[in-house]
Amino acid sequence: MRVAEERLADGIVRLTVDGRLDAITVPTFEQTLQRLLAEGQSRFVVDLGAVNYISSSGLRVLLTARRLARSRGGEVLLCQLHPRVREIFDMVGFLSVFGVYATCQEAANVFPPQVPAA
Amino acid sequence: MNERCLTVPGHFEYLAQIADFVEAAARDAGWNEHEIYRVQMAVDEACSNIIEHAYGPDRQGDIQLTCCVQDVGDLVISIHDIGKPFDPTAVPEPSVRNAVENLPEGGLGLYFMRKLMDEVTFHFDEKDGNVLTMVKRRPK
Repeated sequence: MRVAEERLADGIVRLTVDGRLDAITVPTFEQTLQRLLAEGQSRFVVDLGAVNYISSSGLRVLLTARRLARSRGGEVLLCQLHPRVREIFDMVGFLSVFGVYATCQEAANVFPPQVPAA
Repeated sequence: MNERCLTVPGHFEYLAQIADFVEAAARDAGWNEHEIYRVQMAVDEACSNIIEHAYGPDRQGDIQLTCCVQDVGDLVISIHDIGKPFDPTAVPEPSVRNAVENLPEGGLGLYFMRKLMDEVTFHFDEKDGNVLTMVKRRPK
Protein backbone atom coordinates (compact mmCIF):
# COMPACT_ATOMS: atom_id res chain seq x y z
CA MET A 1 0.00 0.00 0.00
CA ARG A 2 1.31 3.45 -0.91
CA VAL A 3 0.01 6.92 -0.15
CA ALA A 4 0.91 9.83 -2.41
CA GLU A 5 0.37 13.43 -1.27
CA GLU A 6 -0.37 16.34 -3.52
CA ARG A 7 -1.05 19.93 -2.45
CA LEU A 8 -3.86 21.50 -4.44
CA ALA A 9 -5.13 25.09 -4.43
CA ASP A 10 -7.07 26.48 -1.46
CA GLY A 11 -5.19 24.43 1.11
CA ILE A 12 -6.54 21.13 -0.16
CA VAL A 13 -4.40 18.01 0.20
CA ARG A 14 -5.06 15.14 -2.16
CA LEU A 15 -4.08 11.71 -0.86
CA THR A 16 -3.93 8.96 -3.46
CA VAL A 17 -3.97 5.52 -1.90
CA ASP A 18 -2.79 2.48 -3.85
CA GLY A 19 -3.36 -1.06 -2.61
CA ARG A 20 -5.26 -2.77 0.20
CA LEU A 21 -6.31 -0.77 3.23
CA ASP A 22 -6.39 -3.44 5.90
CA ALA A 23 -5.12 -4.03 9.42
CA ILE A 24 -1.53 -4.37 8.17
CA THR A 25 -1.36 -1.27 5.98
CA VAL A 26 -3.67 1.08 7.86
CA PRO A 27 -0.98 2.32 10.32
CA THR A 28 0.98 3.87 7.41
CA PHE A 29 -2.11 5.67 6.14
CA GLU A 30 -3.00 6.76 9.68
CA GLN A 31 0.49 8.19 10.26
CA THR A 32 0.24 10.24 7.06
CA LEU A 33 -3.13 11.67 8.05
CA GLN A 34 -1.99 12.40 11.60
CA ARG A 35 1.13 14.18 10.37
CA LEU A 36 -0.89 16.35 7.99
CA LEU A 37 -3.46 17.15 10.68
CA ALA A 38 -0.62 18.06 13.07
CA GLU A 39 0.72 20.38 10.33
CA GLY A 40 -2.63 22.14 10.43
CA GLN A 41 -4.10 20.66 7.25
CA SER A 42 -7.84 20.05 7.42
CA ARG A 43 -9.03 19.88 3.80
CA PHE A 44 -8.56 16.43 2.36
CA VAL A 45 -9.56 14.69 -0.83
CA VAL A 46 -8.80 10.97 -0.57
CA ASP A 47 -8.55 9.21 -3.92
CA LEU A 48 -9.47 5.55 -3.40
CA GLY A 49 -9.50 4.64 -7.10
CA ALA A 50 -6.67 2.12 -6.68
CA VAL A 51 -8.01 0.60 -3.45
CA ASN A 52 -9.97 -2.60 -4.08
CA TYR A 53 -10.19 -3.60 -0.42
CA ILE A 54 -10.86 -1.52 2.66
CA SER A 55 -11.44 -3.12 6.05
CA SER A 56 -13.18 -1.59 9.04
CA SER A 57 -9.79 -0.46 10.37
CA GLY A 58 -9.34 1.61 7.20
CA LEU A 59 -12.79 3.11 7.59
CA ARG A 60 -12.14 3.88 11.23
CA VAL A 61 -9.04 5.89 10.26
CA LEU A 62 -11.11 7.83 7.71
CA LEU A 63 -13.83 8.48 10.32
CA THR A 64 -11.29 9.72 12.86
CA ALA A 65 -9.59 11.95 10.29
CA ARG A 66 -12.96 13.32 9.23
CA ARG A 67 -13.92 14.13 12.82
CA LEU A 68 -10.62 15.92 13.47
CA ALA A 69 -10.70 17.76 10.14
CA ARG A 70 -14.27 18.93 10.75
CA SER A 71 -13.41 20.14 14.24
CA ARG A 72 -10.96 22.48 12.50
CA GLY A 73 -13.41 23.68 9.91
CA GLY A 74 -12.24 21.24 7.23
CA GLU A 75 -13.52 18.01 5.76
CA VAL A 76 -12.44 14.64 4.39
CA LEU A 77 -14.00 13.87 1.02
CA LEU A 78 -13.58 10.67 -0.95
CA CYS A 79 -13.43 10.10 -4.68
CA GLN A 80 -13.22 7.41 -7.37
CA LEU A 81 -14.38 4.53 -5.20
CA HIS A 82 -13.73 1.08 -6.66
CA PRO A 83 -17.12 -0.58 -7.36
CA ARG A 84 -16.54 -3.24 -4.68
CA VAL A 85 -15.51 -0.69 -2.11
CA ARG A 86 -18.48 1.46 -3.03
CA GLU A 87 -20.80 -1.49 -2.51
CA ILE A 88 -19.34 -2.09 0.96
CA PHE A 89 -19.70 1.62 1.78
CA ASP A 90 -23.32 1.46 0.72
CA MET A 91 -24.05 -1.72 2.64
CA VAL A 92 -22.70 -0.42 5.95
CA GLY A 93 -24.21 3.04 5.57
CA PHE A 94 -21.00 4.95 4.87
CA LEU A 95 -22.28 6.61 1.72
CA SER A 96 -24.52 8.70 3.93
CA VAL A 97 -21.63 9.57 6.26
CA PHE A 98 -18.91 10.55 3.78
CA GLY A 99 -19.06 12.89 0.85
CA VAL A 100 -18.22 10.61 -2.10
CA TYR A 101 -17.49 12.02 -5.58
CA ALA A 102 -16.84 10.53 -8.99
CA THR A 103 -13.67 12.54 -9.55
CA CYS A 104 -11.09 14.28 -7.41
CA GLN A 105 -11.85 17.57 -9.16
CA GLU A 106 -15.52 17.33 -8.18
CA ALA A 107 -14.52 16.69 -4.58
CA ALA A 108 -12.02 19.57 -4.56
CA ASN A 109 -14.66 21.92 -5.95
CA VAL A 110 -16.79 21.33 -2.84
CA PHE A 111 -14.34 23.30 -0.69
CA PRO A 112 -15.01 27.04 -0.72
CA PRO A 113 -12.05 29.24 -1.73
CA GLN A 114 -9.75 30.01 1.16
CA VAL A 115 -9.87 33.62 2.27
CA PRO A 116 -6.31 34.94 2.73
CA ALA A 117 -5.52 36.04 6.28
CA ALA A 118 -5.73 39.81 6.63
CA MET B 1 -20.89 -31.94 3.29
CA ASN B 2 -17.40 -30.69 2.52
CA GLU B 3 -15.14 -29.46 5.34
CA ARG B 4 -11.64 -28.03 5.43
CA CYS B 5 -9.50 -26.66 8.26
CA LEU B 6 -6.66 -24.19 8.65
CA THR B 7 -4.61 -23.30 11.74
CA VAL B 8 -2.33 -20.27 11.70
CA PRO B 9 -0.61 -18.15 14.36
CA GLY B 10 -2.68 -15.15 15.47
CA HIS B 11 -0.65 -12.52 13.64
CA PHE B 12 -1.69 -9.97 11.04
CA GLU B 13 0.74 -11.37 8.46
CA TYR B 14 -1.39 -14.52 8.21
CA LEU B 15 -4.53 -12.64 7.12
CA ALA B 16 -3.66 -13.15 3.43
CA GLN B 17 -3.35 -16.92 3.95
CA ILE B 18 -6.71 -16.92 5.73
CA ALA B 19 -8.27 -14.99 2.84
CA ASP B 20 -6.90 -17.56 0.34
CA PHE B 21 -8.29 -20.40 2.44
CA VAL B 22 -11.76 -18.85 2.55
CA GLU B 23 -11.65 -18.12 -1.18
CA ALA B 24 -10.79 -21.76 -1.99
CA ALA B 25 -13.65 -23.05 0.16
CA ALA B 26 -16.19 -20.64 -1.33
CA ARG B 27 -14.95 -21.27 -4.87
CA ASP B 28 -15.30 -25.04 -4.42
CA ALA B 29 -18.87 -24.39 -3.32
CA GLY B 30 -19.43 -22.63 -6.67
CA TRP B 31 -19.79 -19.11 -5.31
CA ASN B 32 -19.15 -16.05 -7.46
CA GLU B 33 -16.47 -13.38 -6.95
CA HIS B 34 -18.96 -10.96 -5.48
CA GLU B 35 -20.05 -13.34 -2.70
CA ILE B 36 -16.52 -14.61 -2.09
CA TYR B 37 -15.39 -11.02 -1.50
CA ARG B 38 -18.06 -10.51 1.14
CA VAL B 39 -17.21 -13.70 3.01
CA GLN B 40 -13.48 -12.93 2.86
CA MET B 41 -14.16 -9.50 4.27
CA ALA B 42 -16.22 -10.85 7.18
CA VAL B 43 -13.53 -13.40 8.04
CA ASP B 44 -10.82 -10.74 7.74
CA GLU B 45 -12.72 -8.56 10.22
CA ALA B 46 -13.24 -11.48 12.61
CA CYS B 47 -9.59 -12.53 12.55
CA SER B 48 -8.34 -8.92 12.82
CA ASN B 49 -10.48 -8.51 15.95
CA ILE B 50 -9.03 -11.73 17.41
CA ILE B 51 -5.45 -10.66 16.69
CA GLU B 52 -5.94 -7.11 17.94
CA HIS B 53 -8.30 -7.62 20.88
CA ALA B 54 -8.50 -11.28 21.96
CA TYR B 55 -4.73 -11.83 21.76
CA GLY B 56 -3.41 -8.27 21.66
CA PRO B 57 0.28 -7.52 22.18
CA ASP B 58 0.55 -9.61 25.36
CA ARG B 59 -0.89 -12.96 24.31
CA GLN B 60 0.14 -15.58 21.79
CA GLY B 61 -2.12 -18.14 20.25
CA ASP B 62 -3.40 -19.73 17.09
CA ILE B 63 -6.48 -19.09 15.02
CA GLN B 64 -8.25 -22.25 13.87
CA LEU B 65 -10.65 -21.93 10.99
CA THR B 66 -13.10 -24.51 9.73
CA CYS B 67 -15.01 -23.94 6.51
CA CYS B 68 -17.89 -26.27 5.90
CA VAL B 69 -20.05 -26.31 2.79
CA GLN B 70 -23.33 -27.91 3.76
CA ASP B 71 -25.38 -30.08 1.47
CA VAL B 72 -27.81 -27.21 0.85
CA GLY B 73 -24.84 -25.07 -0.24
CA ASP B 74 -24.62 -22.81 2.81
CA LEU B 75 -21.14 -21.91 3.97
CA VAL B 76 -20.47 -22.26 7.71
CA ILE B 77 -17.23 -20.78 9.01
CA SER B 78 -16.06 -21.43 12.56
CA ILE B 79 -13.17 -19.46 14.00
CA HIS B 80 -11.58 -20.58 17.25
CA ASP B 81 -9.13 -18.71 19.46
CA ILE B 82 -7.91 -18.97 23.04
CA GLY B 83 -7.59 -15.24 23.67
CA LYS B 84 -9.55 -13.01 25.99
CA PRO B 85 -13.27 -13.78 26.09
CA PHE B 86 -15.35 -11.60 23.85
CA ASP B 87 -18.79 -10.39 24.81
CA PRO B 88 -20.59 -9.15 21.68
CA THR B 89 -23.45 -7.81 23.78
CA ALA B 90 -21.01 -5.19 25.11
CA VAL B 91 -20.81 -3.73 21.61
CA PRO B 92 -23.92 -1.73 20.80
CA GLU B 93 -25.50 -2.09 17.40
CA PRO B 94 -25.91 1.27 15.71
CA SER B 95 -29.53 2.30 15.67
CA VAL B 96 -29.24 4.98 13.02
CA ARG B 97 -26.89 5.16 10.09
CA ASN B 98 -24.73 7.98 11.33
CA ALA B 99 -24.14 6.20 14.63
CA VAL B 100 -21.52 4.05 12.90
CA GLU B 101 -19.28 7.06 13.48
CA ASN B 102 -19.49 6.55 17.22
CA LEU B 103 -18.93 2.81 17.52
CA PRO B 104 -16.19 1.81 19.97
CA GLU B 105 -12.90 0.23 18.88
CA GLY B 106 -13.63 -3.20 17.41
CA GLY B 107 -17.32 -2.44 17.13
CA LEU B 108 -17.05 -1.44 13.52
CA GLY B 109 -15.62 -4.85 12.63
CA LEU B 110 -18.51 -6.61 14.36
CA TYR B 111 -20.96 -4.34 12.57
CA PHE B 112 -19.34 -5.31 9.25
CA MET B 113 -19.55 -9.02 10.05
CA ARG B 114 -23.23 -8.79 10.89
CA LYS B 115 -23.93 -6.91 7.67
CA LEU B 116 -21.88 -9.22 5.45
CA MET B 117 -23.04 -12.57 6.81
CA ASP B 118 -26.48 -14.07 7.44
CA GLU B 119 -25.69 -15.37 10.94
CA VAL B 120 -22.99 -14.39 13.43
CA THR B 121 -22.85 -16.15 16.80
CA PHE B 122 -20.25 -16.19 19.58
CA HIS B 123 -19.59 -18.84 22.15
CA PHE B 124 -17.07 -18.60 24.96
CA ASP B 125 -15.90 -21.47 27.11
CA GLU B 126 -13.36 -20.88 29.89
CA LYS B 127 -11.53 -24.09 28.99
CA ASP B 128 -11.90 -24.14 25.22
CA GLY B 129 -11.82 -20.43 24.37
CA ASN B 130 -13.82 -18.37 21.88
CA VAL B 131 -15.70 -19.81 18.94
CA LEU B 132 -17.22 -17.48 16.39
CA THR B 133 -19.54 -19.09 13.88
CA MET B 134 -20.67 -17.27 10.76
CA VAL B 135 -23.11 -18.55 8.18
CA LYS B 136 -23.57 -17.33 4.64
CA ARG B 137 -26.48 -18.85 2.83
CA ARG B 138 -26.03 -20.12 -0.70
CA PRO B 139 -26.58 -17.22 -3.12
CA LYS B 140 -29.93 -17.53 -4.93
